[in-house]
Amino acid sequence: MKLQFKLALYNALTKFAIILFTGGLIIISLARISNHHIELRLRQKKAELLAHLSSKDIDNILHQQKAFSDFNIFQEEYIIITPINSLYDNATEVTFTTEARPVEKRMQSFRILKSGFNYENHGYLLEIGETIDAVDELKSTIKGFTLLMLFIALSLTLLIDLIFTQYLLKPFYQIIDRKLVKVNDPMNFDYEKISTTTQDFKLLDDSISSLMVKISNLFTLEKQFIANVSHELLTPISIISSRLENILQQEGLTEDNENKIFASLKTIDRLKAIIKSLLLISQIENNQFNKKDQVNISEIIKEINQEIADRLEIKKLKFYNNTNAAYTMPGNRSLMYTLLYNIINNSVKYNRVGGGIILSDTQTPHTYTLEINDTGIGMDAIEIEKAFNRFEKLNTSEKESYGLGLAIVKSIAAFHEVGIQINSTKNTGTTFILTFKKNPHLH
Amino acid sequence: MNILIVEDEKSLILEVYQFLTNEGFTVENVYTKKAAAEKILVNNYDFILLDLGLPDGDGFELLKILKDLKGREDAVIILTARGDVNDRIKGLEEGADDYLPKPFSLNELLARIHAITRRKHKLESNDIDIKGFRINIQKRTVLYGDQRINLTKKEFDIFNYLVLNKKRVISRTNLTEHVWGDILEVNSDSNFVDVHVKNLRKKLSQFAPIDWFETVRSIGYRINI
Repeated sequence: MKLQFKLALYNALTKFAIILFTGGLIIISLARISNHHIELRLRQKKAELLAHLSSKDIDNILHQQKAFSDFNIFQEEYIIITPINSLYDNATEVTFTTEARPVEKRMQSFRILKSGFNYENHGYLLEIGETIDAVDELKSTIKGFTLLMLFIALSLTLLIDLIFTQYLLKPFYQIIDRKLVKVNDPMNFDYEKISTTTQDFKLLDDSISSLMVKISNLFTLEKQFIANVSHELLTPISIISSRLENILQQEGLTEDNENKIFASLKTIDRLKAIIKSLLLISQIENNQFNKKDQVNISEIIKEINQEIADRLEIKKLKFYNNTNAAYTMPGNRSLMYTLLYNIINNSVKYNRVGGGIILSDTQTPHTYTLEINDTGIGMDAIEIEKAFNRFEKLNTSEKESYGLGLAIVKSIAAFHEVGIQINSTKNTGTTFILTFKKNPHLH
Repeated sequence: MNILIVEDEKSLILEVYQFLTNEGFTVENVYTKKAAAEKILVNNYDFILLDLGLPDGDGFELLKILKDLKGREDAVIILTARGDVNDRIKGLEEGADDYLPKPFSLNELLARIHAITRRKHKLESNDIDIKGFRINIQKRTVLYGDQRINLTKKEFDIFNYLVLNKKRVISRTNLTEHVWGDILEVNSDSNFVDVHVKNLRKKLSQFAPIDWFETVRSIGYRINI
């Protein structure tokens, strides 16, 4: 989950909790306060009633020893006085209850004061009730209102939080996007500062930039080193090989010496091939090749097929070209040729006699996938992991493997933004999967 | 034919000098751009072997000086350790006749010199006769009498190269380098050459014995005529 959404979610949850808590608190305290007020009023009324007991009307009623009940006009209050047969010992004791009473065919909740009193040697039970329906209504109104407020406040703050955190975190996401995600080569790093007033982001940006400076310096140094060393080695090699060739032209050389010189020339060729491969890799990595050709993959495959026809024959291999998509990409033709050649040539080299090589492809609107499948000796997971490393050789009887073929493949693939994956089972075969992005960025 | 070598690496000059002198060329050496410019202004050469990285300047500048002179037909072969494709293209575009990246084989250099010579003089010797086999380099055909021998591209290239370097032992690696190119082919194992040579021999020997087509022990091949 993105940081932005996490923050917004957190804010929403805390707000929800706060509103829930305060809402609950308000409702509870509202109930208690209103009860308290009602009880106060009821006590006052009782006091008033007892004070007016001497008045004639009540007097009469009470003397008739009948129960007296009275509702006021709005049926919000009532008084019931019921005579009882004994006197009250503790006439001042007051109890409060909440009960439902029928009022005009419907039940209404009342807060009821119950108390006994003695009047002229008679005991009476006094009940004064006051409706609390109004309070309940108020409570439910407040509940609804709180809920509504809760909902509005939540959605509003969620929206504001999202907008604000988006604004706040924009530089952060810019840093991630421009400085981390889109950087596949330190050489193409964008050193332009991301404008932000947040100190932490500034620090992050600066740290990444300075780290990248260090990395790219090392990178350049390594590339320069390889290029220089390779370059400087070529001339001496040229001298040695020319000298040996000249010696060979001399008459009277013994067969033994001639063989030794040829062996030396072969060693020099090997050295030359290694240096050239390293130079090629360094040139690819330094972007010294252009990508101006329209490269037709199936054409290249046909060419390679012709080129390796003799090798296929030697090993009695069958070459099945099941590709049928006419895929053309912008790139460097000779490099793409080398890439496919090295992979297919490996399929030949590491194949068993009488085996096969199968090429197939699939296309989606955004990608073109080419699979090169062989029935060779295969690789285990550790070998696959190391396959693209320089000077990594499989245990093979191949004398002239320098362990650079797949390193070249890797750098060419990276140069053309071609995805490359190896699936392999030991002693069964290997599949190279090349994924070409359609319309990749052109630098 | 006279050749001017412009190269600052003296040991290399020495070897190229020795080789080309043995081949019957007249060879002169210069080590700097300045000296080379003087030589070029004074003499006409059949070939100028030009190194790009000279101590006092760039070989391309010499190429420009040469091309500014009217009526000069000196063929230029650039010899350089710069394997850069762009350098190669630039050199050829600015009027060099060929480009040979270091380290190169002296035989390869000789083959290129021969090729340029033929191209320049449009020699009749496009037809080379080897004991009744007539090779036409232009048309890339091999005839025995009136009969055409069907060779594959590789077989022809191998035969052609061996013929151009006849009486000389050509190693398998040397042959591979010439026929398959040396730029991108890295892991070439030399036994494919044997297969092609075997096929080539089979095709040729159907017409006449080819005891002049020798296999030299474990080294390579030689056309011994």
